[in-house]
Amino acid sequence: MSHILDKTSALRQGVVIFIYLAVLTALEFFVAVTFESVFFLVLVAVIKAALVVYYYMHIYKLNEDSPSDEHSYGYKTGTSRLGLWLFLLSDAFVFAGLMTVRVNLLGMTRPDLSQDLGLLVTAVLLISSFFMNRGETAMAHGDKKGFMVNTSITFVLGLAFLIGVVAVEWPQAASHGITPASGTAGAVFYMMTGMHAFHVLTGLIFLLVVLNNGRKNLYSAEKHWGVEACAVYWHFVDLVWIFFYPALYLIGAAL
Amino acid sequence: MKKFFSTALARGLFWQVIGTLVGAGLVTGIRWAMGLSTTIDNFFFTEPAWVMGGFFGVLFFLAGNGSVTDWYKWARGIDTPEHPEEPWTGWERYLHVSLDHKVIGVQYTVTALALIAIGGLFALIFRTELATSGLKFLTPDLNMFGQTGLQLYNTLMSLHGMIMIVSILLGIAGIINYVVPLLLGAQDMAFPRLNAFSFWIAVPAAVLLLMSMVLGGFDTGWTGYPPLSARAPVGVQMFFLGVFTAGWSSILGALNVIATVVRMRAKGMTAWRLPIFVWASLATSIIALTATQLIGLSFQLVMFQRLFGMGFFDPAKGGNPVLFQHLFWFYSHPAVYVFVLPGLGVISELLPVFSRKPLFGYRWVAMSSLGIALVGFLVWAHHMFTSGMNEYLRVPFMYSTLLVAVPTGVKFFSWVATLWKGKIVFPTPMLFVIGAIVVFLLGGLTGPPNATVSVDLHLHDTYFIVGHFHDTIFGGFVFPFFAAIYYWFPKATGRRMSEFWGKVHFWMMTPSFFLMTFGMMRIGLLGMRRRIADYDPMLGFDATHMVLTIAGYLIGLSVLIFFINFFYSIRNGEKAEGNLWNSRSPEWQVPSPMPVHNYEKPFEVVGEPYDYGLPGSKYVEFSSSSQGKHH
Amino acid sequence: MRHFVVVGIFVIVVSILTYVGLDAAELMPEQASAQAVSIDWLWDLQLVAMSFLFALIVVPMAYSFIVFRRRKGETGDGEHIEGNTGLEITWTVIPLVAVLGLAYLGAYSLGDISRVDPNAMVVNVRGQQFAWIFEYPEYGIVSDELHLPVNRQVVLKMESPDVIHSFWVPEFRVKQDVVPGRVTEYRITPTVIGAYKVRCAELCGSNHYSMINDVIVQSQADYDAWIAVQSELAAASQTPEGIGQRLTVQYGCTGCHSLDGSSRPTGPTWLGLFDSQRQLADGTVVTADEEYIIESILEPNAKIAAGFQSPSLMPAIPLTNEEIEYIIAYIQTLR
Repeated sequence: MSHILDKTSALRQGVVIFIYLAVLTALEFFVAVTFESVFFLVLVAVIKAALVVYYYMHIYKLNEDSPSDEHSYGYKTGTSRLGLWLFLLSDAFVFAGLMTVRVNLLGMTRPDLSQDLGLLVTAVLLISSFFMNRGETAMAHGDKKGFMVNTSITFVLGLAFLIGVVAVEWPQAASHGITPASGTAGAVFYMMTGMHAFHVLTGLIFLLVVLNNGRKNLYSAEKHWGVEACAVYWHFVDLVWIFFYPALYLIGAAL
Repeated sequence: MKKFFSTALARGLFWQVIGTLVGAGLVTGIRWAMGLSTTIDNFFFTEPAWVMGGFFGVLFFLAGNGSVTDWYKWARGIDTPEHPEEPWTGWERYLHVSLDHKVIGVQYTVTALALIAIGGLFALIFRTELATSGLKFLTPDLNMFGQTGLQLYNTLMSLHGMIMIVSILLGIAGIINYVVPLLLGAQDMAFPRLNAFSFWIAVPAAVLLLMSMVLGGFDTGWTGYPPLSARAPVGVQMFFLGVFTAGWSSILGALNVIATVVRMRAKGMTAWRLPIFVWASLATSIIALTATQLIGLSFQLVMFQRLFGMGFFDPAKGGNPVLFQHLFWFYSHPAVYVFVLPGLGVISELLPVFSRKPLFGYRWVAMSSLGIALVGFLVWAHHMFTSGMNEYLRVPFMYSTLLVAVPTGVKFFSWVATLWKGKIVFPTPMLFVIGAIVVFLLGGLTGPPNATVSVDLHLHDTYFIVGHFHDTIFGGFVFPFFAAIYYWFPKATGRRMSEFWGKVHFWMMTPSFFLMTFGMMRIGLLGMRRRIADYDPMLGFDATHMVLTIAGYLIGLSVLIFFINFFYSIRNGEKAEGNLWNSRSPEWQVPSPMPVHNYEKPFEVVGEPYDYGLPGSKYVEFSSSSQGKHH
Repeated sequence: MRHFVVVGIFVIVVSILTYVGLDAAELMPEQASAQAVSIDWLWDLQLVAMSFLFALIVVPMAYSFIVFRRRKGETGDGEHIEGNTGLEITWTVIPLVAVLGLAYLGAYSLGDISRVDPNAMVVNVRGQQFAWIFEYPEYGIVSDELHLPVNRQVVLKMESPDVIHSFWVPEFRVKQDVVPGRVTEYRITPTVIGAYKVRCAELCGSNHYSMINDVIVQSQADYDAWIAVQSELAAASQTPEGIGQRLTVQYGCTGCHSLDGSSRPTGPTWLGLFDSQRQLADGTVVTADEEYIIESILEPNAKIAAGFQSPSLMPAIPLTNEEIEYIIAYIQTLR
């Protein structure tokens, strides 16, 4: 498996994985609007998730050897990495709980949302993850400019996603009668997208913090834990959406 | 007095009040601008305003008392010293933000004791009402805190439950935070600032819970089932918010423990040479880290149903009341293992010391904690056998519930075998360990009748259940909590608590508790329902209820004696600066009170933790050179 | 080894004593349903197991405290016994088999009490804050008492318009929640003639403790007689008072208002209510005339009688004006 790659190879890997993710997303959409196989949609989501967790979130780094000196930066980063993943594990339970609510209350139906708009916002978030990966890779190889540019693009795309959901989709759904109080479909839609949007918002704040500190030259190839943490968190937000998107837009008959 | 107002505690509370007003004001302002109602008669602000106020209150508390200052600086790119100066001494130390796990451990423990006192007081109030049939003072025409006597009964009973639960979470955090780094040979927890944050967030959480009392209370019990909770008074929102906030303390604390156990162990401390209490803490933390989110979610959904009409559990909107119960119990069952696994770990940790014998089957005991944690995730619907959930779920959950008895049995048999052929001594901590085993045994034995569906149909929602869970909680937490305090008090203070008054505490509490639990189970079987303010005299339960009330008062008195002993002995207890219990454990190989940086000289693990009776064996060896420099 | 023999004997003795003691304590109420038989049998079996397991743990512990205590002047530690894999496996496998066996018996017992009688009679039940209402669909009867013929399976189909309640008669053993938005079923075969109480067993608000109604198990003959009387009353009572009386039962008014003058915390008695002088909570005195009663039904919080809680517990009852007239006619008869 890939471990320490040089910069070109790492960037190329990021592109390749993105292409896989994009193709799978297109496939998902196609299946959903044609023959609607729940099994297939779940399978695609799982594959996309695995790709993100392994290549973008580089979960294998948890298994890396740490320097033996407990007080070294390297060792402490390893501990912080474990802490971050434990936090994400905990957070995952919230989203798993929300999925359970969706399955229990809506079953094989889904809210009558615009599938085109859903695909659009999903694409925006996925592309933002691509640029986040580029930004983190840049910093890991000491390329400050590459880090600033790519991470800024991530921020803009993330903001676009947030606006797309909260300022476009929500009003549009409401005008079609899907409001928080209109019934279980509405309640589930707003709660799931709302909780996710809250995490996007905190991710955006994290991005700003990291951009600001990067601007002040506080990160280097050897010491950039803040960047890694921000990237992993951002990919987690994308990961949740990989499951929420089919759950809300693709699986089941529109009510 | 001036000193008090400059403490982090006082500052936090002050800012919580400000934050509450700001949050409530903000929402009220927005409502006014939108042309909605802005005040309600009884409680001045509207419900949404109180909810936002409560939420802001927590945020302002944390920002205002310094719990998040270092993180804020890091976000601004400013470095902070790893070990900041903590110039306060004496009791003051505990009212400020400290990064020292030992200080935080004491803060957690004392807060837990305070909540036990409050929760216990609430119980004594409604136990006084219940002592005889016929409503005496909690009557319909009583009007206190905007509630009738009947509503007040329900609020007191509900708060008794939740405040005690929070006290348990804080109590286990106290013992774990104090002891685990010492057992591991670490200088502190993996994330000291997170540790301080996890403690301090629990304080505004407790304030929120208590605030419910003055906002109309709530009549749902600690379980908060909708539709009743969806139509309960405003106080229920403070209950939901308080629990949500306390949940953060539990989750983040657990995260810290896991990271510490994985990353901060002394040299040579392999998995099978970890102290057994560390295994227990690990198992507890795995549950607390993950499952807690589900009670947060379930409460959040009811909060949003109330605030925005989101009909998750409202049948009129297609919602499902039973869904709440699934979400709620998915946490709340594993939660009880969070409550008891540390205490069972304390029993396993202390028995070898006081029997002078190895812990029998150490590896099996270690694995049994993980086994209980795992199986504990699979049993939740045994709280729902009468709920109207799908019929076919009942039998599988009966099987999984009964399975928990297997790893639990491994512990009991191991404890008996540890005592067997020992050289047993009976100082106060040991008395509480023994009490814990017997009481937890009662809890464990009264489990299977509840697990078998048909019998549970009779037992559910009766005092039999109340007896069962008081057994498991007293046996798994309360008794071990006291044992741990009596045991490690000298390590923290360099003095020991009075043995005499410790024994008085034990001998007053234990028989009273037995009377209480047998009484409860008896009337439960005969028809006494839970959560009722009054009962029919024709049932013949009056005499037993009187016994329950008297027992409750005696338990309360014994705990008061403990409090006095505890606080008095800090300054005036008999000096105890060495290895008082003749333990092999590393923390007892250095003087008491524990040095500030724990181990000036690091130690290496060279043998098994519990090899009592094996001549010449050592568990740890301290290095000769002083490598304990902190960076 | 001597120790094991002594402990073994004591375990057996203490088990027996414990079981005998628990059994003698008569911990279960009267057994008054067919379903109770299976439940009590399983409970009794578990009582045996509990007694044995209690002794199994407590006796060796007590023995150890006496025989293996440190004597004065003794130094040195206990015997260095680390464990015994064979023993560990034994006390893992045996309990595992035992709990699986118990679970199997539990499943069997559940099947036993859930047996469906195709000839079971149906009674519709409404559980609401804070009373039970029973409707016999075959006869068009509504009652606040549940009458059942002995030795015949009845299935209660239960609904709630407000919050979760739970139907429980301790002598019948079985309990079942009543959940808004669905119909839950409660199947029971009463076997002993007598008067029982159904008490709500799921916290449902401030008056949960007093949500209690009568359950009367009668011989088939007595039951038929009761049905006949009730049906007659229902049919014959086309008078305003008769219709009014049925409405009060149907809507659970008598759950909170007594008819015989007895005082209840939930609401004023109706005996002698009409045209009486009523003292209100704010000290004023009004006449309880037609207008007063109409207002009390439609706006329960407009006037609170002295001694009762404010805001009022009374829910909004969907009565038409005509129905309210009938109820007033009925109340007028209560002197």
